Amino acid sequence: MTPSTPDQSPRFIPAVRLNLQLPTDQLEQFFPLFQRGVTVPATIGCSLKNLLCHQLAIPEEYVSERITTVFCDNCPVDDFEKTIIRNGSRIALSAAMPGLVGATMRRGGYYAALRQGISHLMQTAPAVVEDGSVTLKLFNLLMTELGPNLLAHGILLKTEELLVLRQGIPELKYNLGADTDQDQTLLAVSFLE
Amino acid sequence: MKIARIDFGAAGGPQVTYGPLGEYAGLGGRAMTSLMVATEVHPLAHALGAENKLVIAPGMLSGTTGSMSGRLSVGCKSPLTGTIKESNAGGQAAQVLARLGYAAVVLEGKPLGNDLYKIVINKDGIQVIVDNSLKLLDNYPLVAKLRTEYGDKVAYMTIGSAGERMLLAASIACTDPELRPTRHCGRGGVGAVMGSKHVKAIIIDDAGAKMRPPKDPDAFRDANRKFVEGLRKHPVTGEGLPAYGTNVLTNILNEAGGYPTKNFKSGTYEGSSKLSGEAQAELEIKRGGKATHGCHRGCVIQCSGIYNDKDGNYLTKQPEYETTWAHGGNCGIDDLDTVAMLDYMDDNIGVDTMEMGVTIGVAMDAGLIEFGDKEGAIRLVEEVGKGTPLGRVLGCGATVTGKVFAVERVPAVKDQAMAAYDPRAVQGIGVTYATTTQGADHTAGYAVATNILKVGGDVDPLKTAGQIELSRNLQIATAAIDSTGMCLFIAFAIMDQPETFQALLDMLGSFYGITMTGDDVVALGKKVLSAERDFNTRAGFTKHHDRLPRFFYNEAIAPHNQTFLMKDEELDDVFNW
Repeated sequence: MTPSTPDQSPRFIPAVRLNLQLPTDQLEQFFPLFQRGVTVPATIGCSLKNLLCHQLAIPEEYVSERITTVFCDNCPVDDFEKTIIRNGSRIALSAAMPGLVGATMRRGGYYAALRQGISHLMQTAPAVVEDGSVTLKLFNLLMTELGPNLLAHGILLKTEELLVLRQGIPELKYNLGADTDQDQTLLAVSFLE
Repeated sequence: MKIARIDFGAAGGPQVTYGPLGEYAGLGGRAMTSLMVATEVHPLAHALGAENKLVIAPGMLSGTTGSMSGRLSVGCKSPLTGTIKESNAGGQAAQVLARLGYAAVVLEGKPLGNDLYKIVINKDGIQVIVDNSLKLLDNYPLVAKLRTEYGDKVAYMTIGSAGERMLLAASIACTDPELRPTRHCGRGGVGAVMGSKHVKAIIIDDAGAKMRPPKDPDAFRDANRKFVEGLRKHPVTGEGLPAYGTNVLTNILNEAGGYPTKNFKSGTYEGSSKLSGEAQAELEIKRGGKATHGCHRGCVIQCSGIYNDKDGNYLTKQPEYETTWAHGGNCGIDDLDTVAMLDYMDDNIGVDTMEMGVTIGVAMDAGLIEFGDKEGAIRLVEEVGKGTPLGRVLGCGATVTGKVFAVERVPAVKDQAMAAYDPRAVQGIGVTYATTTQGADHTAGYAVATNILKVGGDVDPLKTAGQIELSRNLQIATAAIDSTGMCLFIAFAIMDQPETFQALLDMLGSFYGITMTGDDVVALGKKVLSAERDFNTRAGFTKHHDRLPRFFYNEAIAPHNQTFLMKDEELDDVFNW
């Protein structure tokens, strides 16, 4: 079963773009945001594998071996290539999880039958490829490992999210300047070695 | 190894006898407790009466140098469910008891009078001592008092005031390596049975005892090394669990729409990220606690932690996923400090955290307090600790509370509260909740190693019938692993790594001087389950008790808008082997 997701996400990247370079230890300031989900500009109508490997530049081997638990719109995903992302899709990525339910949620796992009825239905029909955005969540070990990829790609933040974020990131306070009155900002971050 | 029996109903006071293993030779953990209870306890006995027995058994490899072998099983007829019960915990007790040569210690009969006892077990034998100064002490002050007399080089098993009052959700606490009463045989009211024998504490002192020697020391050492390597290299046991503990599941279950929220009214919770294992670990480290900690010596996985309060002082051990859910999202509470305080209170009073969290959720549905009322939840658990009439109702669990306050939505099977997985989203879990011999128990089908065990053969994961077959196979595998005394979390590594499973078999084989195969493990699991099912049948349980509450069939849950779909006849097929 695949719950419908309202298509309310912005299709175009806003004009305001903020580039930051931060010390590595500032990555954890983004962890609460990663868990709640961040809006990411994306080419939609293509596969989840395309989003991860090509758009977010995550190595294919990492995707296939490390990202073992995946959800699209609350539904556990079994096949990256047969999951088509739509505008507003909500994607969550996790490493391998403990517990019977952790094993049950595992992508293509032995215990997938135990979640029958909520698994993401694989899609093969062609979709229109265009600009849009998705919500991406990162959990557990992947916050540290994929956070830099995600932030290098850029995330769309609402003003209130920026204001919360800058409480822990002094550099953001300085860089925000007069742009805080913008409704959305594309924040791209690189980290110092 | 030997079995000690303490008859509390003997003329002239408690009498200790020691005997050989006899028909129980080769058994450990759940196999020992369940086969003994099934053989020796009258199935229609009152669970708090003289005819019930409390069987305490370390695992097959407890007391050895084998890693992860420190689970302690406690078995009896459950006062909560009326079924047979096995509840297990970590902590130090299993290792120490096994090193002293006990395969089981059995508490039998019922004492006359009101005296309260403590049991001292050491290399010289077992002493049963009257100590009424311990009356109504809760677990933390109780252990602190006992430590002044027996010191820090022993293991303690204790009950708090809930066990003494024989409340149906009462647990038995086992001390961890820091001698905190944090590891609990929580489910099924085993603490009430210990209370019914008037036993407040068991002090286990292994001074002068040695590690249990394997038949083939070299082979055992080699197998243990490979086993540890396997655990360390696996992403779940080597990375995820040590970093975040079991509460790493909060985000996952919420994302799957299977996180029961506000007494099972929704499958997602808006405050879940505030309760997550990720947030918990960050807070623990920030406050000078620990996000990685073992519940017993010899643990490689280290899935626990130390949770400090805002001032950096110890508050409780890291609350597990099920606890954080039960007192958190299930009650509409998104505050980790409140959850940690409730976890401490449960451990101190000596009640099952899952049963209590679900009970508070039912009480909220009854209108006693509002969902999200943090102070109110603490106040209700305080009532349990004080033993007020309301507290006694709550301390007897979700089903009793639901009946007293006329709440229809009570998420329990065979009167035991469900854990943190909604069976409408994860239907296969619902099959296990419904059919397990133990009441709604998420760990009854937890040993995710059926593929490697080849129990039941290969299953097509995309077929509906697979859910029944998988649940059956999982329950068999779990019964077997529970009997070894190994932590269930080893299942992830042995599921994915055949060489790690082989290492476990080699540990058992080299220790006992036998050849152990996967078929032997499966046979053991089936033997345990068959004995448990037989006991339950004789106690009056039928297939009609293997069902979920009706609201799971009638109320669809968001976000998947799904009800529990498994047919009764499919559930009835689980135990056809």
